[in-house]
Amino acid sequence: MLKLFLTPDFFFSILRISAPILFATLGAVVGEKAGVSNIGLEGTMMVAALFGSLSTYWSGSWVVGLLVALIFGVLVSMLMGFFAFNLKTDIILTGVAVNMIGSGGTLFLVKVITNITEGKPLASTTSLITKKLQIPAVEIPLIKDIPILGDILSGHCLLTYVAFILVFVTWVLLYKTPLGLNIRSVGENPNAASSVGVSVLRIKYIAIGFSGLMAGFGGAFMSMYYAMGWSLDMVAGRGFIALAAQAMGAGEPFGSMLAVLVFGFAQAAGIKISSVGIDSNLVSPIPYVVTILGLVIFALVVRRRVKRQHSSAALKATE
Amino acid sequence: MNKKRSLMFTLVRGTAAILIALLVATVLIFISAEGATFGAKIAQTGSALRQLLIGPAFRNNGTVSVKNLTDVLAAMIPIIFTGLATCVMFSANQFNLGAEGGIMLGAFVSALVAVYFPLPGALLPIAAVLLGGISVGIMMLIPAVLKAKLGVSEMVNSLMLNYAVMYFIKYLLNTHLADKTKGQIMTYEFQPNAAIPQLVDNGSKLSWGFVVALVAVVLCSLFMYRTRWGYATRMIGINQQFSKYSGMNVAGIIILSQVLGGLLAGFGGGIEMLGRYTSFNWSALPGYGWTGITVAILAGNNPIYVPLAAFFISYLNKGCSLMSTYSGVPSQLIDILQAVIFLFFAAKQFLARYRQRLVVKSTEEELKLAAAAAAAEEGGAK
Repeated sequence: MLKLFLTPDFFFSILRISAPILFATLGAVVGEKAGVSNIGLEGTMMVAALFGSLSTYWSGSWVVGLLVALIFGVLVSMLMGFFAFNLKTDIILTGVAVNMIGSGGTLFLVKVITNITEGKPLASTTSLITKKLQIPAVEIPLIKDIPILGDILSGHCLLTYVAFILVFVTWVLLYKTPLGLNIRSVGENPNAASSVGVSVLRIKYIAIGFSGLMAGFGGAFMSMYYAMGWSLDMVAGRGFIALAAQAMGAGEPFGSMLAVLVFGFAQAAGIKISSVGIDSNLVSPIPYVVTILGLVIFALVVRRRVKRQHSSAALKATE
Repeated sequence: MNKKRSLMFTLVRGTAAILIALLVATVLIFISAEGATFGAKIAQTGSALRQLLIGPAFRNNGTVSVKNLTDVLAAMIPIIFTGLATCVMFSANQFNLGAEGGIMLGAFVSALVAVYFPLPGALLPIAAVLLGGISVGIMMLIPAVLKAKLGVSEMVNSLMLNYAVMYFIKYLLNTHLADKTKGQIMTYEFQPNAAIPQLVDNGSKLSWGFVVALVAVVLCSLFMYRTRWGYATRMIGINQQFSKYSGMNVAGIIILSQVLGGLLAGFGGGIEMLGRYTSFNWSALPGYGWTGITVAILAGNNPIYVPLAAFFISYLNKGCSLMSTYSGVPSQLIDILQAVIFLFFAAKQFLARYRQRLVVKSTEEELKLAAAAAAAEEGGAK
């Protein structure tokens, strides 16, 4: 059993599986810091995945496809922002609506835009993305020669590296830039932020736009590399898992990345286990159950820490 | 603002939201319409719109289509239940999105009871639906207790539960419970007495479950507006801090509202399963949970309006499927339509200026009346 897991191939697959969730998680992290719970990440990823794969096919270039996916990610999130911030729709309900569009709405669009699916109840663009149009994998010069580490770290899709680099970038953005300070202050106390002249509306738009951009990356990864084409409900809850990872990681970029890796590990293990003949429906729910357990453990830890702080503060007060 | 104006505003706002959605639909239908010339496309759009809006009620020759209407009513059954479930949970400000997994679990448990429990006569469907509901109530304890005791987001947990439940059901179905003699993955046939009798026997599957759903609507309204717990539920939704300091059992109500939501979703699943099918063969989440959220939003979280909202959504849904059969516009247009209507209904600031004007007008009139009354009084005093 252990031999099954301790292969470079297994660790490689953890990173590969984690990447799209990591993108969405970073979107959730920045959104949540500004007090915007973006549960529409799922639907945004679906829309971005669809238009990314289609424009890759039309233009014959993954660069164009990626750009279009990013643009659609931002567009969808701006639309969400308009309803949530300007028309004062509850942000969670806005997300639910975006997810509706992401599920049935994208199927409608794909049927209308491409007539290739005429008559079929299910449609997909999986035949459109060929090996040549896929987002390329990258070999890292020095690292790829290190025996085991090279097999694990090198040869990933370009976007996988981007995802992990963006964790650092997000951290810098949140903690080392004036914009990050504004984002955090708007999330913590919008009234205070607005009283010192920060435009709360503008910051919220920036935050949700950033999360849309990340969902665009995630969608592009899904349809232009991972699944090689768009199909109905292909994001399969990754946008929701991102919200869970954000909560498990206490809303911090690096913590959330760890949560995503735990999730990636659970899913990769599930795939491995099902390869030895156990029903995949028994292992598929593992990641979701792990997420619930993770949230509980996290809540318990926070609770104990708060209690300890309270009691130590009380002790000090009595001294 | 007086009651009449307030009602008028609600009506105008609802109509405007629906009109915007139909406008979006028209544009989308026009884009997807087949036709070489502009004129042909317009004609196509017209006939597609006719199917969408009038098709569910009238045949092409203008007579009332009973079959289509009973189809619409039958499709209301599950979404009334998920709509009620969402109403109760959202009223307490609990964004539990587990009605989706809940209705699937309820349907599955009811199906198992219907296949395996040797109960006589009408006892079997009643026991099946009850057990279906109770199992979902227990499932909802997970997000509810975690929220009430540990403050874990019920939204994330319920979303995760949907997937976990779906895979668990698929696993049981694939490995242990499938009828291996069938080509498709499904359970054994239900015992004949498990079926919920039909109201109208024309193939629409409009069962007595519809009546049960309406009874549930009445009970739900009574609960929400005539009991202490219903009052506490709504108060917690409006202001949780206030409720806490005025001595309400906030944690208890948080749990109660979600378990009640689970029960309702589970009943809906069981009734849908036994009223429509003869064996369980769902292989994915059915989507009724999400539609239930739309229904609850359209009904303004008030149970009494749920049937109206469910009828509206189910009518549009039937219209969309008729449209796709007769004119080639994909039926998934319903999801876009639903999303647009939903967004504008839930938008608090939508038509806020118009509302403002109505408020100003009302106040001015009241002031004038008061001034006139005061003047009259003065006149009388002299």
